[in-house]
Amino acid sequence: MTDLTLGRSPLHDRHAALGAKFAPFGGWEMPLEYAGGGVLKEHTAVREAVGVFDVSHLGKATVRGPGAAEFVNACFTNDLTRIKPGKAQYTLCCADNGGVVDDVQTYLYGDDHVFLMPNAANAAEVIRRLREAAPPPVTVTDEHRDYGVLAVQGPRSADLVAALDLPTGHEYMSFVEAPLRGTRIVVCRTGYTGEHGYELVIPWSATVEVWDELLRAGEPYGVRPAGLAARDTLRTEMGYPLHGQDLSLDITPVQARAPWAVGWSKPAFWGREALLAERAAGPRRLLWGLEALDRGIPRPHMAVRRGDLTVGEVTSGTFSPTRRIGIALALLDTAAGLGAGEEVAVDVRGRPARMRVVKPPFVQNATR
Amino acid sequence: MIPDELRYTDKHEWVGAGDGTALRVGITDFAQDALGDIVYVQLPEPGSPVTAGEPLGEVESTKSVSEIYAPVTGTVVARNDGLADKPELINTEPYGAGWLVQIEPADPDTVNELLDADGYRELTQQ
Repeated sequence: MTDLTLGRSPLHDRHAALGAKFAPFGGWEMPLEYAGGGVLKEHTAVREAVGVFDVSHLGKATVRGPGAAEFVNACFTNDLTRIKPGKAQYTLCCADNGGVVDDVQTYLYGDDHVFLMPNAANAAEVIRRLREAAPPPVTVTDEHRDYGVLAVQGPRSADLVAALDLPTGHEYMSFVEAPLRGTRIVVCRTGYTGEHGYELVIPWSATVEVWDELLRAGEPYGVRPAGLAARDTLRTEMGYPLHGQDLSLDITPVQARAPWAVGWSKPAFWGREALLAERAAGPRRLLWGLEALDRGIPRPHMAVRRGDLTVGEVTSGTFSPTRRIGIALALLDTAAGLGAGEEVAVDVRGRPARMRVVKPPFVQNATR
Repeated sequence: MIPDELRYTDKHEWVGAGDGTALRVGITDFAQDALGDIVYVQLPEPGSPVTAGEPLGEVESTKSVSEIYAPVTGTVVARNDGLADKPELINTEPYGAGWLVQIEPADPDTVNELLDADGYRELTQQ
């Protein structure tokens, strides 16, 4: 029997006390938005001040042992030799056919130690595949419930993290360990919002304390707890893919415009042959951005039309709180020959909504 | 928040007194809370005929879209054009400035078939 109970974050009671609306997210019951907040206010807080997200549902795993980094590099797509210890890298765990099992953030500690953050829903599968392939004595440990993760994101995030006496000066995509009241936490210069930000990896039981302190210390900076609904509008504005929508077992990194996350010259990684072949032949479809020219909000699975011809499908679509228009990521057939600036129509419940094809992001990236 | 003087549908619209013999229609506080931040509203032009129980327009939040159903049969005589620029009024003042349309009912008695405040309270407490 499958376990049907939803996982809960160590902050569940805190969220409930803040009047959160919860939603299932990759097998976890997580806050969508908070009372007194709402997507628009929470989104704006992250773009203009600072927001704190509980992303403890994300998977965590450690690969350890002689050659651990080399092993991970032979499995995932990106070239781990491009980064030094203390740096993080976005990578993909692909299937043999080039489809994406999951997108994963890797944290390189050294040759014999790599920390992984896959998505909640796919963590078990990524870990299963790694374990099956791991050459002894390399071990893969599932740490899903060993750490909570808080994302502190926004132009005031450095002020807020510094207010907790934590380091903030390290460069984008790097991480450092630091003590906080005797607990060891990892401060990563990462995030998925397009803003300057930090992700704090905290021992599970200490997560409540750090959350409380962030919200208390963040008051002068205009902090808001931000739910996963705002995380979705923020990442969509940046054109960042969400696994299960813009990346999936049916959507390859070549189609999703993520060839930069593939180490093409590496001798081995999962899905290598299929991806090389697809890159050589050219993908049959490609991920583009769409921005609405009229009122109308595109939603996942809506058809994209050019005249009478269906030329693609929306994979992610929402109202952009920053731009105040409908925006979408959509897979468009390359045979249709569409490019940036051209006009298409999205079938919004039977009504054609005019959209312009663009190359994301929809909002300028401010991560650095 | 369920005002006693209004009538309600089981699809979360409210109906109150409008101008003259017209009825004013909106969505309830319960409905706006469930929808979240509303960003678009689509409403029929004045003069449009509407049928009780049939969709008359839609409200869209960042996350989802919901149809609004006509509580009574009749003709739309006014719509709240202020919502085009400020759809958030539906969230902040669902029973006031966030009203949607006014309908001249074909049969003024049909409003009495709708739920009263106690009936709607019971419905939303389940």
